[in-house]
Parts: sequence; structure tokens; C-alpha cells
Amino acid sequence: MKRYPSALAAIAAASAVTLAGCSSPASETADPSAPVTLTVSAWNLDKTPEFNALFTAFEAAHPNVTIQPVEILADDYPEKVATMLAGGDTTDVLTMKNVIDYARYANRGQLLDLTDFVGELERDKIAGLEPFDIDGKYAAVPYRQDFWVLYYNKALFDAAGLPHPDHLTWAQYSELAKKLTSGTTADGQKVYGTYHHIWRSVVQATAAAQTGGDQLSGDYGFFKDQYALALDLQNAGAALDWGTAKTQKVNYRSMFETGQTAMLPMGTWYIAGIKAAIEAGTSSVEWGMAPMPQISSGGETATFGSPTAFAVNEKAKNAEVAKEFIRFATGEEGAKVLAGIGVVPAYSSDAVTAAFTALPADELSKTTFTENKKVALEMPVSEVTSDVDTILNEEHELIMAGQKSIDDGIRDAGDRVKNEVL
Amino acid sequence: MTMTTEPALRKRRPPEPTAHPPRRSLRPILVGWSFILPNFLGFALLTLVPMVFGLALSFMDWSPWGDPEWVGFDNFERMFRNSTFWIALWNTTYYAAGHIPLTIAVSLGLALLLNRTLAGLGFFRTAFFLPYVTSLVAVAVVWNMLFNPTSGPVNQFLQFVGVTDPPGWTSSTAWAMPAVIVASVWRDMGYYMVLFLAGLQTIPTELYEAARVDGANAWQRFWNITLPGLRPTTFFVLIMCTVASFKVFDLIVVMTDGGPGRATKVLSQLIYEEGIREGRFGLASAISLVLFVLVAGFTVIQFLLQRRQENR
Repeated sequence: MKRYPSALAAIAAASAVTLAGCSSPASETADPSAPVTLTVSAWNLDKTPEFNALFTAFEAAHPNVTIQPVEILADDYPEKVATMLAGGDTTDVLTMKNVIDYARYANRGQLLDLTDFVGELERDKIAGLEPFDIDGKYAAVPYRQDFWVLYYNKALFDAAGLPHPDHLTWAQYSELAKKLTSGTTADGQKVYGTYHHIWRSVVQATAAAQTGGDQLSGDYGFFKDQYALALDLQNAGAALDWGTAKTQKVNYRSMFETGQTAMLPMGTWYIAGIKAAIEAGTSSVEWGMAPMPQISSGGETATFGSPTAFAVNEKAKNAEVAKEFIRFATGEEGAKVLAGIGVVPAYSSDAVTAAFTALPADELSKTTFTENKKVALEMPVSEVTSDVDTILNEEHELIMAGQKSIDDGIRDAGDRVKNEVL
Repeated sequence: MTMTTEPALRKRRPPEPTAHPPRRSLRPILVGWSFILPNFLGFALLTLVPMVFGLALSFMDWSPWGDPEWVGFDNFERMFRNSTFWIALWNTTYYAAGHIPLTIAVSLGLALLLNRTLAGLGFFRTAFFLPYVTSLVAVAVVWNMLFNPTSGPVNQFLQFVGVTDPPGWTSSTAWAMPAVIVASVWRDMGYYMVLFLAGLQTIPTELYEAARVDGANAWQRFWNITLPGLRPTTFFVLIMCTVASFKVFDLIVVMTDGGPGRATKVLSQLIYEEGIREGRFGLASAISLVLFVLVAGFTVIQFLLQRRQENR
């Protein structure tokens, strides 16, 4: 019993310190060299190397600033940030994991207006700025701009005596995938021609980007060909079937890194992932990168992607330093840091491309990375986006699991979007 | 009851040599309250207040940002128009209708089996109880492996015994719910088995001996002695199992995430999605109210049935 008072005192003291920390004046420090602790929201720090790379580089350039990451589990990120902001959280820099969440925060006035700030930037050098435009105003600046490409396993192509997948059409891709399905890996696993991850974007966003279809329209006829292709590959055994991938929670990274698939359509964020796996010695995959297959050959490459951005919290304690950080991270210096670890920066220049050393040395990979292409936004941003996304996901599952025909799935998705959302 | 018996008891007690007899009578009450208070405070603060608040919230439009707005029955209208709500309502009922009787049957069977002197009895009792204390995520992941459509042991066994086209289980709209029910029965059976075992211990062995003397067979003994003797236990198990069934969430989220499509989406998952993911607290509260009425309704019906049986 006697111990309680001291324990209580300790708790009281601890909370007093915490409270004092919370209520410290929110004003800007007048002295630019005074020590500042900048808080930045981030997810899964150990698997998302860009954060630590940017933080370290920024701290080196600004010795008075210490960056304190607010780490959040990737899957819970949107909910957690929404809850934090609702509770009056004062984290300075907020990372916008996707454009949909950005629109929500910005529309609620939870982000600092950065329109003037954006006006001072070299806009033509920053890709993916457009989706952050809300009625001519900006509240975030992209630092990363991912787009989807076709990863392939060079060793498997060479062993089969097939040419590397240079600017394929979907028909050629399908044919290749079937030819590459044979044999087993060293671990006795079947080798598939290609792997389509379970996400609906693999089919739906690809179709939207290449046909010009609108995923919010409620008319989804443009999905049809892409679904026919995906199901045909699955039925032919040239791609792991969706049901197995879903129920076994198959990881696309291990599929590619252990040589279980010869091809993999995936976003450019994975470049850093492969680089890290090879450096860590967990994979010895000989990989290359090709443009996403297209509906017809000869035209401009159309693919989809999504930018990732930094914003300043409306309630930030260190708004000026936060802006300084964003200026650094989204500019050339930050871009070089990102390129150095294999992450595709939104800012592009020759110096940045030179710093991007994670790519394989072959011409095809380089072309894929640098050629002019049309990058559509993965999902259009609007108030109804997340409701439509839920419906499209559910119908995608049913089509891919063979529980509904393509036509029925497309029709039901359209009916539900029109009746319950629009 | 206490009002009438207390004075009678006090009269019988010898007079106590204290200076302030009236104050003494307050003590048991204070002591009683002090025992209840911490728990009650916790309940009031963390359960009662949020419940009442949730009820009010179901008539409001309120997201984590912005101010609440009284919207009357808008949330309910929206809920009834949403096809996912009806599907989730049906799925919840389907799950409960499968999970409750199966769990009771299996756990009662196990309890009867293990309520005897048997070599390794302790081991078996522990073994059957173990799933209940295992991490639910682990349970779900392991069952997903067992149900793997291509290489899972369940389908390999089915193929071995001659089923040529075994179901895709969690990737099939028809079989996903049965698969989830099987996994949940397996997980819960040990817990209810322990309750039944405790109930079985309370039945006097003399009754069985007398029945044997009268020439009753095993089935007659079970039907006329065991089942009536277990009635209080069965009732408790039924209530607990019903409440747990209607609230099922985690197992489904990990095993199927409500899919394929909406085949296993249940009300509690819909509440989570609408409330936490979409930030529609009002709508989520309206759905919770439906879930509450559902659980309360079934519980009341079971109480009434139980009372009627007792009065018979």
C-alpha cells in the first residue's frame, strides 16, 4: 500500500511534463537557427526507406532541425490521420498517401493553403501536381510520382529463348505469359507466366487509363476486354488464380523475387523494393522493366499512377519549417535523395535521372523510365470516390473468383453505383 | 426481499455495544457500493454513456470534422435504401443460425465425451480449450490454409474420398459462410465445453444410479436427467453464444474480409466500415441500433421461453 503515493506522484509528474509539452506556445520561432523539432507523419518506416532518407538529408542541411517521425501502420494510415486531425493533432507535416484522402482533408480545411508556395515552384518539372488542384488552390505538393510498368525476370525470358517484352500489346503479353508458364523453381514451386495482384486497379485502372473510361461514371463497359484477358490467363494457368492469391494473402514481392512469375505489372515504387531485397541478399532476381502492355501497338504509352505528397497541417506548430521541409523534399535536392534509393521522385531533371541508379543498365528499362507517356490518375477524385471504390472492389472480387460473369459483374457494379452512390 | 428480511434478522442479533448504532447500519451499504463502484464507474463511463450517445448519434449527421446536425430519420432511410445493409443483415442471421446450434451441439458432445474417467483426460480437455485462447488472427490464417482451394488439406481430403469438384471455400459465394462458421465453431467449442463440463458436475450421480436401477438406457438417461439438469447451463451458453454470434467481426475480417463480393459481410463489419473508414458516425450508429435491437430481441425471447419452461 505504501508504494502507491510515490507511484501516483510519478504518474502525476509524468503527465504534468506531457501536458506542459502539449501546451508549449505554438508561435513561430523568431530566430532561424533556434532548435526546432519538426513532426512528420509517415507509415511503416522500415519498409518505406524514402522517409528516413529525406529526413536524414534535411537534417544534415538544417542542423537546427530535428525531425520526429509520427509512424503509423500503413493499412490504418487514412483512418488514423483522420482521427488525429479530428482530435486537433498538431503534427507539422502530413504525408498524403493518396489523392482521395487528400481531397477529404483539404475539403475540410484541415490543411494549410499552399497555393502561393506552389506558385513559386518550377511547376513544369514536378509531375503529378495537377490532381492536387482543388478549384485552383493547392494544399499539398507531390514528392513521389509512381506509374505502373511491367516488371520481368530476364533469366526466365532468356531460358525460354524469348525476346524481352518491349512495348507489347495485351495480345502479345497473353501469348508470352502462356509460353513462359512451365517448369518449377528451385523450391519446387510452379513458375507462372505472369502474376496479377488481387487489387482491382490491375484490371480496372489499367482499362480506364488505356480506353479513357471514367471509373466514377457507373458505365463500366470499358472494363470488359481487360477482364476477359485476366480471366483467360487465370483459366489457362498462366497466372496464379485470384482465389488462391486472395485467400493465401500472396505477396507480389515474393512471387517476383523468388522467380515464381516471369512478369508482373506493378507500380514503380517496387523498384526500391527490389533494390533493397537484392542488397539484403534475400533475392537474386535478374530483373528488367518494360512499359505496360497496350491495347494496340505504335501509340503513346498509356499507364496509370498516383502521386504521393506532403502537406502542412492547418494546426502545425512549425509551419514555416514545415514549408521549408516540403520545399526541400519536393525540389531537386530531395529528388536526388529519393532517386538514390530507387524511389521515383515527382521532380525531374537530368541530374535526378543521373542519380537514379537503381535501374538495370539495359536500354529497355531506361526507355520505360524516361520515355514520354500518358499517366492517368489511378482513381478520379471526388466526394463519391470511396463509395464507388468499395462497390468496384466487391464486384471485382466476384468476377475474378468466377462467382459472376464479366457482363453481370459490370452491370451490377454500374447499377449499384448509379442507384446507391451517384 | 431484503427490505422484509433485514429487520427480522437484526432483531435476532444480540445488541451491540457501540456508541453510534444508526451509523453502523450505513456501513454495509457503503462497503457494498465501494465494491461495485469502480466497476460501475468503468461501465458507466465506457459503456453506458457511449451507448446512449450512440443512440442519439443515429439521429444526427456527424463526421469527425464539423459539427453534429440533427437529421431525424435520414440515417435510417439511407440505411434501408442501401443494399449492403440488407445483405449484411441476412449474413449476420445466417451466421448466427449456423454458429449457435452447431457450437452448442459440438461443445455439449465434447463435454459428455470428456465427463468421465479416461486416460489423458486433462490433455484432451486442454487440447479442445486451446483454440479459444489462441490468437484469432492465427486461427483465421490457419483455416484459410486448410481451405485453400487448390492445395488445402480439406479439398485434398474431399478429392481423396471421391468429390471431383470440391468448392473454392472462401473464394466462393456459396461456401464462404459455411467455411467461416466451421472455423468459428472450432474456435469456440472449447470454451462452451468447459461451461457444460461444469454444468455436468452439478447433476447428482444418484439420479443416474436410480435410473439405471429402473432400467433406463443411455439415451433415456441423457434425455430425462442430463438435459434437464443442464438447463441453467444451456440457457447461459445460449445467451452468451447468441450475443457473440451477432457481434462476429474479427474472424470474418481476417478470413474473408466480407468477401467474395459481399458474401460474408456482417453488420458489425458494416458498422466499422461506415463509421471508421467513411467517417459516417450517424449511419454507423443507426446500424448499431439495429444490431442492438436484434441481439436484445433474441435475448428477451430466450428469457421468455426459459421462464415458460421453468413454470411448466
